[in-house]
Amino acid sequence: MSGLRRALGLVAIEGIVVGIVALAIVLSSDHVGNRGVTATLALFIGWSFIGAGLFAWWRRPDNRFGVLMTAVGFAYFLSVLTASDSSLLYTLGVLFSSLYVAVFVHMLLAYPDGRIDSPQLRKVLAVGYPLSIVGPGITMLFADPSQLGGGDDEPESAIRLGTDPVVFDILDAATSALAVVIVGYVLYVLVWRWQAARQPQRRAMAPVLWSGICLLVVLAGQLTTEAVNGPDSLSGVTGVLGLLFFALTPFGFVFGLLRSRVVQAGAVSELLHKLGDAPDSTGLRDLLSRALGDRSLQVVYWLEDSSRWVDSAGQPAELPPDDDPARAWAPVEREGRRVGAIIHDRSLCEDDELVRSVAVAAGLSIENERLQAQLRARVEELRRSRARIVEAGTAERRRLERNLHDGAQQRLVALSLTMRLAQGRLRKDPEGAEGLLAGAQDELGRALEELRELARGIHPAVLSDRGLKAALEALAGRSPVPVDLDGTPPDQLPPSVEAAAYFVVAEALTNVVKYAHASQARVSVSRSNGHAIVEIADDGVGGADPDRGSGLRGLADRISALDGTLELSSPEGAGTLLRAEIPV
Amino acid sequence: MGHRILIVDDHPSFRASARVVLESDGFEVVGEAVDGASALHECCRLRPEVVLLDVQLPDIDGFDVCEQITAFAEHPTVIMTSSRDGSDFGPLVSTSGACGFVPKAELSGERVQELLGS
Repeated sequence: MSGLRRALGLVAIEGIVVGIVALAIVLSSDHVGNRGVTATLALFIGWSFIGAGLFAWWRRPDNRFGVLMTAVGFAYFLSVLTASDSSLLYTLGVLFSSLYVAVFVHMLLAYPDGRIDSPQLRKVLAVGYPLSIVGPGITMLFADPSQLGGGDDEPESAIRLGTDPVVFDILDAATSALAVVIVGYVLYVLVWRWQAARQPQRRAMAPVLWSGICLLVVLAGQLTTEAVNGPDSLSGVTGVLGLLFFALTPFGFVFGLLRSRVVQAGAVSELLHKLGDAPDSTGLRDLLSRALGDRSLQVVYWLEDSSRWVDSAGQPAELPPDDDPARAWAPVEREGRRVGAIIHDRSLCEDDELVRSVAVAAGLSIENERLQAQLRARVEELRRSRARIVEAGTAERRRLERNLHDGAQQRLVALSLTMRLAQGRLRKDPEGAEGLLAGAQDELGRALEELRELARGIHPAVLSDRGLKAALEALAGRSPVPVDLDGTPPDQLPPSVEAAAYFVVAEALTNVVKYAHASQARVSVSRSNGHAIVEIADDGVGGADPDRGSGLRGLADRISALDGTLELSSPEGAGTLLRAEIPV
Repeated sequence: MGHRILIVDDHPSFRASARVVLESDGFEVVGEAVDGASALHECCRLRPEVVLLDVQLPDIDGFDVCEQITAFAEHPTVIMTSSRDGSDFGPLVSTSGACGFVPKAELSGERVQELLGS
C-alpha cells in the first residue's frame, strides 16, 4: 500500500511540475491572447483531471479508471504546447492537441470498471487514437496559416509540405467526418449503456456519464460544422460549452464518490436507527433494500444444522454464482459465524464498503431473523414429511389391496369354483372330484403362503411376540443372501423404535438381494449415547441411489418422524452401508 | 343351453376354473382374452353370444370395455364379474350396458343362464 502511495505521490509531483511548465509556456507566449485566463483555465482543467484521477486510483488501485483520468490531465497539458513560440514545440502541440479527447473517450468507454471488454470498442479506440493525431497533422502538413484564422504571431508549422487549399480541405473534411462517425458511435454506446443500466448502476454512472455525453454532443456538433464549413479559429474542441462540460467531468466524478460516501454514512446510520425497532423479515428486507438503493435485494439465511440457505419463509434459496452478470452476494456474519447473506445487484460491488457496512449493521437483526427462518424451515420440512407419511400410508394401503386382490383373493375365488365343481361330481364322478380336491388343496396352500407374506409386511407378528432379535433372525433366515447378525441391544427398545429398526433392516436386505450383487450382508443394532444405531452393510457393487425408489424415502420419513436420521453411503464398487440413528 | 361364451380376465387361474365350470354346465367356451383390447378383438373375430367380463383389467376399465362392446351393431350379451361384491360398483353395471353381474366365487352356468333369461 505504501508502495502505491509513493508511486501516486511521484505522479502528483510530476503533474505539478508539468502544470508549472505549461503555465510558463502560456505566460511567455507571443501568440496567445488573454494569457492569464488561458493559463488559469489550462492549469485548472489539467490539475482537476490529474487530482481526481489520482484520488480514484488511490481509492481503487485495481480499477484502471483512475489511471485513465490522470492520463487525460497529462494529455491536456500536452495540448498546451500549442502556446509555445518555438516552431517545433508548437507543431508537436498541435499534433497532440486532440489526444486528450481520445484518452477522455477511452476513459468514458471504460467507465466505471476501467476495462474495455468489447472488441468493437477496442477497434473504435484503435482508430480514434491515431485519428486524434492525423487530424491536426493534416493541418500542420497542408494548411495555409492564413486559412486557419490564427494570429500573425503564430509559429510556422515545422512539417509543412505545401499550402494546397484543395488537398487540405479534402483531407480535413475526411478526417473530420470520420471523427464525427466515431463520436456519434461512442455517444450511441454511452446512451445505450445508460438505458440498459439498472437503478443502482445508473446512480453510480450518472455524474461521469452525463458530463461525458454532453461534451460529446457539443464535440459532434462542432466537428460536423467543421467538416461542412472548414476549420474555424478554434483548434480542437475548445468551444466554451464543450470546455465547460469537459472541465466539469472530474468534479462530477469526485462529487459522485463523495455523495455515495455521504449517502452511505446516512444510509447506515438510518438503518441502524430503524433496525432498533426490530422489524419483521419483510421490514428488514425493505430497510436493507432502501439503504442500498436496490429494490431487487434479497436476504437469505444460513442453516448451520443442514448446511443450506433458506429465505425468510424457510424455503430453500440459492446464492448467485460468482460469474452471474446481474447478481452478487455479500456474507453476513455474527461473532465470526455465518448467519446469512445479502443478495444484491452486481453494480453495488462498486460500493463494496457500503454493502459491508450494511451487512455489519444488519448482523444482529439477520441473526434473529435466521432463527425464525430456521424454525419455518423445520416446520416446512415437518409438513412435507408428514404429507409424505400420509401419502406413503395411502400408497401402502393401495399396494395391500392390490396384492390381496391379485393374490389370495383370486386363489380363493378359484378354490370356491373348484369346490363347487367337486361337490357336483362327488356322486357321479368320485375320481374326478378327488382330482379337483387335490388341486384345491394346492391352491389353498399357496393362498395361505401369500397371506402370511402379506401379513408379515403389515407388521411381523414375531416382532411383537418375541422382540427385535427374533424378528431380525427370521429376516436373516429368509434372506437368499447370507446375513451375519452382529447382535441386538440387551434392553428392549420402545415398540415404535423396534418396528422402525425392523423395517430399515427388511428394506435394506430387500435392496441387497435386488440390486447389490452382494455375497454377504452384515446387520447390527446397538445402543449408544441414547440412540439406537441400526447398520446394514454389504460387500456388493455399491452405487445405490437414495432417490431410486420410494422405499428409502419412506423409511427416511418413518425415521425422521421419530427424530432420527437415515444415512446412505454407497461408493461405486465398495459396497453399501445404510445407517439409521433413532433417539431412544 | 349351449350358449357360445368368451371369458375375459387377466388371472389365468380364474379363466381356467371358469372354463371348467361353464363347460360342465353346458356352455361352449369359444375363447379367452386377458385384457380389454384383446377382448374387443376376440369379440369381432369369434362373435360369441355371451361375454363374461372382469371389471378390473390391466389396460382398459371393464365397464368401458362393456360400453364399447355393446355399442356394436349385433353385440353379444355382456355379464360383468369380479372378485369384489356387486354392491362395490353401484349403478355402474346397469349404466355400462351389461345385462348383469355375478361375483366370481358364485359363478355357475345356472347363474349365467338366470341373468340371460331375465
